[in-house]
Formats: sequence, structure tokens, C-alpha cells
Amino acid sequence: MGDIRFTRRDFLRTAGAFTAMTAIGEIPGELLAALDERKLVRFPEKTDMILLTSRPPQLETPFHYFRELITPNEALFVRWHISQIPTSVDTNVWRLKIGGNTEKELQLSLDDLKTKFSPVTFTAVIQCSGNSRSLFDPRVAGGQWKNGAMGNVTWTGARLKDILGQARIKEGSAYVAFNGLDGPPLPSVPDFVKSLPLDKALEDDIIVAYAMNGEPLTMLNGFPARLIVPGWFATYWVKSLSDITVLNAQYEGFWMKTAYRIPDDPCACVPPGTAPKKTVPINRFDTRSFIVEPADGAALKRNKAVEVSGIAFSGGYGVRDVILSVDGGRTWNETKLGKDLGKYSWRQWTYTWHPKEAGRYTLLVRATDTIGESQPFEPLWNPAGFMRNNVEKIEVTVK
Amino acid sequence: MKNLLLIWFLITLMIVPTMVLSQEQAGPGKGTVHSLELPIMPIQLKQGPGYDKVSTLCNICHSTDYITMQPAFPRATWTAEVNKMIKVMGAPINEEDAETIIDYLAQNYGTGK
Repeated sequence: MGDIRFTRRDFLRTAGAFTAMTAIGEIPGELLAALDERKLVRFPEKTDMILLTSRPPQLETPFHYFRELITPNEALFVRWHISQIPTSVDTNVWRLKIGGNTEKELQLSLDDLKTKFSPVTFTAVIQCSGNSRSLFDPRVAGGQWKNGAMGNVTWTGARLKDILGQARIKEGSAYVAFNGLDGPPLPSVPDFVKSLPLDKALEDDIIVAYAMNGEPLTMLNGFPARLIVPGWFATYWVKSLSDITVLNAQYEGFWMKTAYRIPDDPCACVPPGTAPKKTVPINRFDTRSFIVEPADGAALKRNKAVEVSGIAFSGGYGVRDVILSVDGGRTWNETKLGKDLGKYSWRQWTYTWHPKEAGRYTLLVRATDTIGESQPFEPLWNPAGFMRNNVEKIEVTVK
Repeated sequence: MKNLLLIWFLITLMIVPTMVLSQEQAGPGKGTVHSLELPIMPIQLKQGPGYDKVSTLCNICHSTDYITMQPAFPRATWTAEVNKMIKVMGAPINEEDAETIIDYLAQNYGTGK
């Protein structure tokens, strides 16, 4: 349990082989990932994941998984907030309770969710608000994620709108709160509860998902059912749902009122090292794109075609185009977009590059979504380390 | 003492099979219980004054890799983090222990500023 699969020392031991591969320009992503000194651990139902914390678990996806259009269940990142997380669920006993400001109180079983509502399936990027936090400068406290707190998953579930429709929302309702089976280690610790404005909660594409990539959810990703709010950060995608409560005012708990807030400014940013005057709850993703291959630091061969590839996604509006620079941003090239799995999915992109001269190259990638939202060239800063989306760059050597 | 041990042994005999069953057999007739066991991962914090307080008190709510994963922070940041744990996250830590913990963090996981 929890053993280290590939350590820095192992890496140094294989450095000879590494140099040989560098010379011919073929370095597997897994080996480059070993340059990352963080520990790999194995939790139940998960593959080798990068350990941030063990209790509660926070596990990051190794970057090479982003070569795939769909992130495998066993490799999807894990992030819990408080330590009493569910480790055993009896689906004969588990019920999703819907109540509060409603005409009826519902207690739905997992079978009810599957059979009493028309199932909806779509692919959507799930991304932690603090994805890439460790790249902030100056550094900020919090989960020190690199770029692996994201994934692209096909979700199946029942529409929240349909569920709330059965409970019949009373006049004057304004918010809906969501609680899960996770609980605080002490009564003084705030329970993890999130809320959405009612008009957001009633949108067509918000679902209570009971399947990920056609399988039951893994326990660490929210078995037996979790909320899916496509295009919005995963803080709202409450795992192991137990209670949905309709409210006539905003939920005032810690995780809405104090945590997960961004500067109330179109850039969600403030000058580095300063505090925002006013904040709002974090909500929709900004547009992002990543170069997955070649890996940062790769050594390539002159006059040999290189397939540069990666992913791009937006806050629910699909990807219009992705451009790539191989000369540090002086000139830009259109890339070829891959299969379109819908506006919430990420889109793969490729560009065939023929490096003719030896030297060091800086590659940059920039995506624009269908409503024109793109990425800033320089990183923006906020004190919680949220919403990083600047143009990413990698350095490669051509020999 | 011997009697106590015997009683403990008998209780164990009764409980253990029940636990195994509850994990594997589940509700009425169907495999409806989904269970897993979380691994325990010991963290090696740096030795120094305050080590005991940090290992004990911080560990009540979270593993101490919450500390070791952070970059080196100035004392002011560690102070803000410890205060947040107490005032916002409800950690039962008195003022004296809080000072000890801040000193330990600034000393062992700090920037020296």
C-alpha cells in the first residue's frame, strides 16, 4: 500500500538509458514524468497517482494521461476537503434526500436515479479550482497541484432539473445547497457544503451522475453519485451526494462565504501579493490549452517531423481554434483540431513541425473558445491560486 | 488481567467474522456494499522544538503532508495558516500551542524571513 513506484533515485539509475534515448529523440512521457520528484502512490480503485496529501486524499493525475481524449477512471484526480470521507456505501441503504423549500420531500435510491429519470450522457472536463496552483509566483498556500488536477470524462446521470421538478420547488426559492457523505473530523470543523443559484441549478446540463466512462463512480471520485456542473470548477461537483436542499437565500457556510472565492474583477486577478477588495464565489472555467507532446525538456532530431499535440478546453463554449508557436511567440500556426465531443469536452489538437535547424526552441500554445475567450500571455495572480490559464510554454532542444 | 484478555479474545472472535462479512457479502442477497480501505502513509516531519505538538495537533484533522507539500513560506504566511486552522477551520489549539506550532513551521519549513 502506498509504495513509491518510481523515485528520483530510480530515475538517476536510469539516467544512462535516458541519455541514450535523448540522443535519438524518443523519450517516453512516463520517463520524463519521473523528473517530477513527487511520490507516486496507489489508492484503492486508482492507478499510480502523484501524492499531494493522504488524509484526506488529494491525488494528481500524471501528465502523460492527457495524451488520451478520455481520462481513465483509475487516473482521474482526487480531491477531498475534510477527513471523514466515505469508505463504505450500501446502495440498499443510501438515499439522496431532496427537500428544504419544496412541496415534497424525496428520498431517491440509486435505482430510482437510474430508472425514474431519463438518463443524460455527455463528456465534460472536470477541473479543480486550484489546478496549477504550484506555478503561481509568488507562491500561495494550498494544495500544491501542477497541471494534473483535471480530466475529461463521459458522465451519465439524471438531470437535476428533473429531480427538483419532482420535488416541486416552492415560490421564493433562490439557491440550492448540496451536501455529501463526507464529514468533518470534529464538530467545530465546517462541513463541506456548496450551493448554486437556483437559475443555474435548473439548467439542462446539470446532472446527478452515477456513471463515469460507463462504469460506476470510483469511491474516491464520489460513489455512488455526484453533481456535475459542466463548464464550472469542480468545487461544485459535490461527491457522494446525500442531500439537496432548496433555500430561499444564499447558503452562508464556510465553503461558499469564505473559501473558493475570486477577486470580483473580469480577470479574477489582483497585483501579485495583494488582497482583493471584493470577492465572488468562483464559477466558470477560463479557457486553457496544454502541449502534451513533446514533453517539456525533450530532445528532438533535426529534419525529422515532430507531431506536436495537446488539449484545449473552455468554460462550456467549446474550442474555436488552437494556435501554436515554435519560435517563442513571434509567429503562430493553426493546429488541426481532433474529434469534437461537445462543448464541455476538451479537444485534442495536433501540428506537424519540421525543425530544420539545431538549437533550443520555445513552443507556446493558445486556444480561443467559440465566444472569443482566450488566454493571457502572462500569468494572472490571486491570493488563493485559482483559475491559472496563461499561455503555456515548453522548451525543447533540436540536435 | 488474564480474564480480561480472554474476554477480549472472545469478543475478537465474534467481531472479526462479522466485519469480514459486512465487507464482502452486503445487504439482503445482493452485492450492494461498496467498501475500500484507505492506505495509511506515515509522514516524516523534520525533528525540532515543537515537533510533538505539530505531529499530534495537526494530525487530528489532516495528515502532515499538508505541511510538507507547501513551498518554504515566510513566518507571516505560516502564522496566517495556523490562525486560519484555528479561527476558520475549528482546530482545537490554544494560544500557547499555536505559538509553538508557528515557531516550528517557520523554523523548519520557512524562508527564514
